[in-house]
Amino acid sequence: MTLSQPSLDAAVDALTASPASSLRRDTIRNILRQRTAVVGLTIMLLLVLVAVFADVIAPFEPNVSMLDLGLPGTRGLPPCIHLLGCPADQTQHLMGLDSNLRDAFSRVIHGARVSLIIGLATVTVAIVIGTLIGAVAGYSGGRTDNVLMRLMDVVLSFPSLILAITIVTVLGTGLLNAMLAIAIVSIPVYARVMRASVLSVRESDFVTASRALGESSVGILSRRILPNALTPLIVQGTLGIGGAILEVAALSFVGVGAQPPTAEWGFMIASDRNLFFSAPHLIFFPGVAITLSVLAFNLIGDGLRDALDPRLNR
Amino acid sequence: MTRSPWWSRTALVAVTMIVFAACGGTTSTASPSAGAATPVPSAPESVAPYEGMTYPESGEAPCGTDGYTGNVKRISATDASTVVFELCNPDVAFLPKVAFSPFAINDTAWLESKIDPAGTTNQAIVSEVNGTGPYKLDVWNRGSDVTMVRNDAYWGEKAKTEKLIMRWSQEGAQRLVELQSGAVDGIDNVGNTDFPTVEANADLQIQPREGLNVMYFGFNNAFKPFDDVRVRQAIALGIDRERLLTNFAAPGSEIATHFTPCSIPNGCEGEAWGQFDVAAARALLAEAGFADGFKTKIIYRDVSRGYVNDQNVIAVDLQAQLKTNLNIDASIEVQESATFIDNADAGKLDGIHILGWGADYPDVTNFLDYHFGSGATAQFGAKFDDITGPLSQGAIGTNDANRAPFYEQANNAIKANVPMVPIWHQASATAYRADVEGAHSSPLSNEHFASMTPGTRTQIVFMQGAEPPGLYCADESDGEALRVCEQMMEGLYAFEIAGTAAIPALAETCEPNAELTVWTCTLRSGVTFHDGATLDANDVVLSYAVQWDAAHPLHKGRDGSFSYFPGLFGGFLNPPPAAE
Repeated sequence: MTLSQPSLDAAVDALTASPASSLRRDTIRNILRQRTAVVGLTIMLLLVLVAVFADVIAPFEPNVSMLDLGLPGTRGLPPCIHLLGCPADQTQHLMGLDSNLRDAFSRVIHGARVSLIIGLATVTVAIVIGTLIGAVAGYSGGRTDNVLMRLMDVVLSFPSLILAITIVTVLGTGLLNAMLAIAIVSIPVYARVMRASVLSVRESDFVTASRALGESSVGILSRRILPNALTPLIVQGTLGIGGAILEVAALSFVGVGAQPPTAEWGFMIASDRNLFFSAPHLIFFPGVAITLSVLAFNLIGDGLRDALDPRLNR
Repeated sequence: MTRSPWWSRTALVAVTMIVFAACGGTTSTASPSAGAATPVPSAPESVAPYEGMTYPESGEAPCGTDGYTGNVKRISATDASTVVFELCNPDVAFLPKVAFSPFAINDTAWLESKIDPAGTTNQAIVSEVNGTGPYKLDVWNRGSDVTMVRNDAYWGEKAKTEKLIMRWSQEGAQRLVELQSGAVDGIDNVGNTDFPTVEANADLQIQPREGLNVMYFGFNNAFKPFDDVRVRQAIALGIDRERLLTNFAAPGSEIATHFTPCSIPNGCEGEAWGQFDVAAARALLAEAGFADGFKTKIIYRDVSRGYVNDQNVIAVDLQAQLKTNLNIDASIEVQESATFIDNADAGKLDGIHILGWGADYPDVTNFLDYHFGSGATAQFGAKFDDITGPLSQGAIGTNDANRAPFYEQANNAIKANVPMVPIWHQASATAYRADVEGAHSSPLSNEHFASMTPGTRTQIVFMQGAEPPGLYCADESDGEALRVCEQMMEGLYAFEIAGTAAIPALAETCEPNAELTVWTCTLRSGVTFHDGATLDANDVVLSYAVQWDAAHPLHKGRDGSFSYFPGLFGGFLNPPPAAE
């Protein structure tokens, strides 16, 4: 008895569909069982909401100085919250004014948008390229694998921040180039993860079956191997978002990332660093924002890892 | 034959020695006055005549002709301790000029050995120092500190502290933390908002510094759209300088009514700057064809100086004002400090640049001639004849009164041409640990650490805003380099401690003729360089000549710009084509 190709595909899909749905259910259930992951998800959800509705939440334009204010002492003005006793005739600034007389709260809120975009975009670029490299290396093996992975080793051999600064120096300072630099230095991590997954999956029976049925290498990679190797990538990518936010903040702090007047948390800390003694709140709030966002993605990443690891399934 | 007893021979020798001693003679040479019957003429001492150097070696500089805009005609060493400066025109500010640190004196042999005529930039003299000052260079740990040790052979009052260490940080907050922790004994430029913190700390003392400086926004007219005077005028009208002063200057600062601070004689002759008129500014922009604004850059270096503490916030506010008031989109470009200065001097800054100037000596020429005179750098592009003309006339005036009309003209022409917009004269301060005796701020930013005693400690550590680009200050213009040089190097004159009066240093006197065109300087005797060489007049001539003559084989240093010499003395001898 012989099976036609479409019927084989249908059979394979039917076989894999059910466990996948079950895996998703298990994963979600496992994540929700972990308090830390739930905390991470909650923070992330809040960040996403803040980022999406930044224009509504922020009471002022983030990049506009209060040009009408010219009184001495308004620079680095401490928070003025009416509920906490700030006189009603004073304009409310929940986190005070920064060194350029801009509303710090509005800038922190808009900073969420910038930071989330940075994290997601950077990791997406790194995952796409890293996955491609890792998949090709792992599936091809031999010389191709050797060349690609040694290239990744070279990139990994440099401290990531130093390499990123070098790249930005060559490309020119700016947020886009900083994101690109962080993406480039992150590629090897994803390439390695992908390669390892491909190596373990490529000898599986269903891959051998596909190969025996004459499916092309691209087809096998994209339809058979990749879906089964995505789990570790998702975990690594989630953890990577937090790292990317932190690294871009670091680049902005040293002056090669976001450029004025962008409301980016690392740059905000750098801009107001000399008001450390007189207006420490200007360092505190963006710092807390960075910490929370990195923490959120790390908690989610850890939760995902535990949830997707069959050995840890309860 | 019998021999005399031993004691008689001994007695004879002793008597002979006593007689010689009584006559003032010696046992080795006969005295010519010791009763000799025939006087023997003494041999004359064979001292070679002093070969004093004259520069130029033949003739004199072509004053006012052949493209020579300088004011120095000839420099001669007439004997070992006398140097004569002949000028094309009178120079009433000659003494404060020669007191300024770029004109410190180097030893001839040192210059010849540390500058390679075949080399180009970054000569050995940039990182090695052989001066006559109270401190001598121990080691320059690049990126960390410059350490100096007391010069025990100093001709004047010795340094009170054995060791002087200069450190740097561009962060005002870091400087303050270092001072509070006791890691340093003094810091430069207390942050604008940190004055109360320092004043409230009993372990610290603050030393206010008068605002003998100016912070400005400059334009280079070689680049579009700044080649159009209406654009420059529009920006001058469209920037709210009061707002900048109120929010970002240190307490005690003043708005700049003129480029030069008014406490300098003739600094504030002519019309005052001060209009803020957005409608007029927009009309001018529209007239120039930029009704919808344009794109440009704001270029600066992220360092703190006496004239500005935090340039980032200035740049951001300027960016906001340009956009809001004039619809000009300006991106921000931060350059490394030395690169920025070199680019400014070379006329390469194609946007609006933020820069400033601290007084080097209290004369209007230090502000106006250096920036806008015939010998100025290319910072603002092509020179303005209606500025350079009056400045040349003003520089040769013999007193404040007869110079005033020329500076009125020059200041009015500066306001009309707008090569820059002066913003403020900023008051600043140094801060020290409370037990530092003799702590002071200099209005010229050349604090004299040799006169300070840091409690019972054997070293004094001072933290300034940046690392000196080089230590050959003839070829430096950054105050952070000059302050370090001034601890080790000296000129013919110096400035009084914490003051602005020029006082004799390596010269005991510099006396002018009646026309103020010839200055005869008599050198102090017994002055030695750190390597033991003795100061003489030829050292003075060569130290000036290598700066003055752009074709001199030793006219080389860190980048070879030697911007102070033409800025203060009108121009180079044999100016390179680009400087003409």
